[in-house]
Amino acid sequence: MAYAYLFKYIIIGDTGVGKSCLLLQFTDKRFQPVHDLTIGVEFGARMITIDGKQIKLQIWDTAGQEAFRSITRSYYRGAAGALLVYDITRRDTFNHLTTWLEDARQHSNSNMVIMLIGNKSDLESRREVKKEEGEAFAREHGLVFMETSAKTAANVEEAFINTAKEIYEKIQEGVFDINNEANGIKIGPQHGGAGSGGGAPGAGGAPPGGCC
Amino acid sequence: MDFLKSGLKTVLGTPESGQQPSVAETVERLVERASNSTLLEDRRDACRALKAMSRKYRLEVGAQGLDTLRQILELDRADNETVNYALDTLNNIVSPAQFEEEEDKPHIPMNIGDQFTEMFIKDPHNIQLVLDLLDEYDFRVRLSAVQLLVSVLTNRTKDIQEIILDKPMGVSKMMDLLADTREVIRNETLLLLIKLTKGNANIQKIVAFENAFDRLFEIVTSEGYSDGGIIVEDCLLLMLNLLKNNSSNINFFKEGSYIQKMLPMFNIPENSEEVGWSPQKVVNVHCMLQLVRTLVSPSNSIQIISSCQKIMKNVGLLDALCNILMASGVPADILTETINTVGEVVRGDATNQDFIGNVIAPSYPPRPAIIVLLMSMVNEKQPFALRCAVLYCFQCYLYHNESSQSNLVQTLLPSSSDVSSLTSGQILCGGLFSSDVLSNWFSAVALKHALIDNPTQKEQALRVLLATNIGSTPVSLLHQCTLLLQQTTKLQSKVALLMLLSTWTAGCSGAVAAFLAAPGGVPLLVHHAGSNEHDDNEYLLQGLSAFLLAICIHFNDDSVATYSRDALKQLLVKRIGMETFVAKLSDVSKHELYNRAAKHPQLRVASPSDVLIDYEFCKLFKSLEGLEGPLMESVSMSPGRSSPEPQLEQYKSLIRQQDARLQELVQQLETLTAHAQNLQGALNEAQSANSLLRDENTLLKAQVGNSGSDHEDRIRQLTGEVARLKEELEGVRRSHSARDEELEKMKRDQNDLLELLDDQDLKLTEYKMRLINLGQSIDEDNVVEPEDNPSRVNNKTVDGTDYIVTPPL
Repeated sequence: MAYAYLFKYIIIGDTGVGKSCLLLQFTDKRFQPVHDLTIGVEFGARMITIDGKQIKLQIWDTAGQEAFRSITRSYYRGAAGALLVYDITRRDTFNHLTTWLEDARQHSNSNMVIMLIGNKSDLESRREVKKEEGEAFAREHGLVFMETSAKTAANVEEAFINTAKEIYEKIQEGVFDINNEANGIKIGPQHGGAGSGGGAPGAGGAPPGGCC
Repeated sequence: MDFLKSGLKTVLGTPESGQQPSVAETVERLVERASNSTLLEDRRDACRALKAMSRKYRLEVGAQGLDTLRQILELDRADNETVNYALDTLNNIVSPAQFEEEEDKPHIPMNIGDQFTEMFIKDPHNIQLVLDLLDEYDFRVRLSAVQLLVSVLTNRTKDIQEIILDKPMGVSKMMDLLADTREVIRNETLLLLIKLTKGNANIQKIVAFENAFDRLFEIVTSEGYSDGGIIVEDCLLLMLNLLKNNSSNINFFKEGSYIQKMLPMFNIPENSEEVGWSPQKVVNVHCMLQLVRTLVSPSNSIQIISSCQKIMKNVGLLDALCNILMASGVPADILTETINTVGEVVRGDATNQDFIGNVIAPSYPPRPAIIVLLMSMVNEKQPFALRCAVLYCFQCYLYHNESSQSNLVQTLLPSSSDVSSLTSGQILCGGLFSSDVLSNWFSAVALKHALIDNPTQKEQALRVLLATNIGSTPVSLLHQCTLLLQQTTKLQSKVALLMLLSTWTAGCSGAVAAFLAAPGGVPLLVHHAGSNEHDDNEYLLQGLSAFLLAICIHFNDDSVATYSRDALKQLLVKRIGMETFVAKLSDVSKHELYNRAAKHPQLRVASPSDVLIDYEFCKLFKSLEGLEGPLMESVSMSPGRSSPEPQLEQYKSLIRQQDARLQELVQQLETLTAHAQNLQGALNEAQSANSLLRDENTLLKAQVGNSGSDHEDRIRQLTGEVARLKEELEGVRRSHSARDEELEKMKRDQNDLLELLDDQDLKLTEYKMRLINLGQSIDEDNVVEPEDNPSRVNNKTVDGTDYIVTPPL
């Protein structure tokens, strides 16, 4: 279970866009068509491999309802990555992105990686938001963009992993201060020599954080 | 006190000689000074004095000073000393404790701190002020702010939790304080977080998100694990708060590899026996065990329990726990709790169950740990709590594990050749027939657990034979149990045997037949079920007898002719009566001990006399309760049991309908609840707005009250003046109109005169002409002579009437 890095994520976005389903698909590889409303936040975790290194993702799935907004705000500060999700079949969830983004930018650390996700791409016939619109919004605000389907699992892995890659690159560039836990990043307990014993052949060598 | 008095004097100035100001007056002046003085020093001195008075006179200081103190937190933030005094004063005012200084003041209400807290938090902004002060690095300010938060949280946990949740960085700020290098602040913060996280899942999750477990494990490690002081206990209590009934946090704890970090906590040093256990260490280890149990508690979801159990085994935690179990010199209550903990760590996990099945105790001769534990269970001299714990642990060992269940039954079967060593089966049988009631009960329940949900072992156990007396023919275990049921006079033993027999016979017609074949069994059940004794626990005996009878009817394969299904039914109807029978059954689930036992797999009773019903029995009872219905139906109309099928369909459709209706109602309920919540929210808002307005109103009223008389005087004066002015105005107006009239009249007169003058002129000209005609020369100037005196002119009009022109008056 040794990991080189641990990243903390949050998933945000309007209620009913499929945040909990995305998490469930990612951690348990299953889809639950009927999901209870998330109360407050729920936790999930999974290990992924990037660049031959084991990376542990700890993900906090937040409640989309307005009533829980102030609780959600408590999670921005300590997160390294955020998945901002809207529903391609509901225009209003797309329209609210600006508010979400403002909230996130205001309360998070400036380096937090935000991935914009248009979910429910399997429901093409009910689409209300064009893919181009999502791309344009992402470009305008400097986000990474993807359309996913928690139901068919399309792009779900990629969404979580690409976010991790982005964070990983920022660490390599020395943008993130990995010693400050408030950034949502932790170095694994057996980083360095022992880390390579965890089945990741590329994990040996100098700690990447120190290269800059 | 002298110092205090002189201090007050310097602040207040010397009081006028002869009269001592009252406390209220003093406080009033201090508050006045604290809020209005322009010099910071004066405000600071006033706060210091208020603080000094706030313990003895908190009613006065609180009533008059709350608002000013709040204001100081906001405006004098820059001066640490003043803010510190204000915080301490507030803390004294809202403190939930009663001060020594107050003891001689019986008129102070007990909940005064609570009332002031309510006033203080009426404006949630006040909590924000205190939260902001946590950013202040100054030691005393920070400490006082934390202490104030602890006090208000103690008084109004729920309200403050909601307020703090509403502040985006509220919880995070407190978490930051855990990293404060000054231990006093760190320790006080621990207390704050313990209060803050109590019963609020959302706050618990945020605290966990903010790396609480890392911080806490760091502290526990630095303090020396279980040998650490009360700080370790506080850390563990906080962790317990974070994990209890919070599956999200348990998941996080598990995924964050924190279970591994618990391991060093359970290392018992080699020389622990000589060193002994300090009371604090006992408490710390107890908390740690609680922490383990929280993770694998049977009330958690199965996935969580099972993955935690696997990790605990893999990282060696179960091993460490077993070491405590086998170590010498462990205090009894720690041992008891460790047994419970081990039970829950293995419950339902085959690997872990096997593991403890193979643990060998360091005894002479070496015996399996399970055997040693069971020996203590049936030993009267062992503490009651410990015996209960062993039963629980043994239950967990058998729970959902066919192989350990079969192992137990195997030890009782004749085939087992190894007679030299003591087996678990032998211990339990010994306990079953011992003279100690509790041993009977524990053993019967333990045996029962080997049969739960296991048809094979139910059959196997029928083969168990006991040699009661040397030389006599062996009797089967079930037969012996039936005999014992008739012989014993003790209620607890009877109930235990009935539970054992019920579990055994449920779903196993072979066991039913064996029970029916045993002499005296059925008559005894009929006797108990039909008896009319009115004692609380006697009801249980009656109900359980009825239950076993019902099972005998339901799972009857008619192999015992005297007690075939129909024969038993007839017997039941004749000897007991349907209604009594049903009533006896329903008495069971109404019993207090039944309901208590049904809550948790672990037996939780205060005294040995309450040991009666077991959790798994409740489950069995509940699962068969459904069968009782149709059973009763068929019994009551047994003679003409014609065609149950269409009826069944009818019932099924009825149930379906009811189900749908239920669903509908549940949905309705949900929407209504949401609606009600909305309304409640609106109501609360309205209420708070209302109270705000009321306050304002009171304030305004008070202001009005104060300045009322002044205004009245002034108004009276002004009204008088207005009246006077009106009169004057009236007079002026009157004279004015009189003058107007006069002027009018004079104008008219003038006109008249002008006309007259014209007439005269005409006449004059006429006369002149006449005079000229008469040949008179006229001196122009003389002609007008008669008119020179206009005072009295006699004229003659054309028509000859005389009139007098009088000059105007």
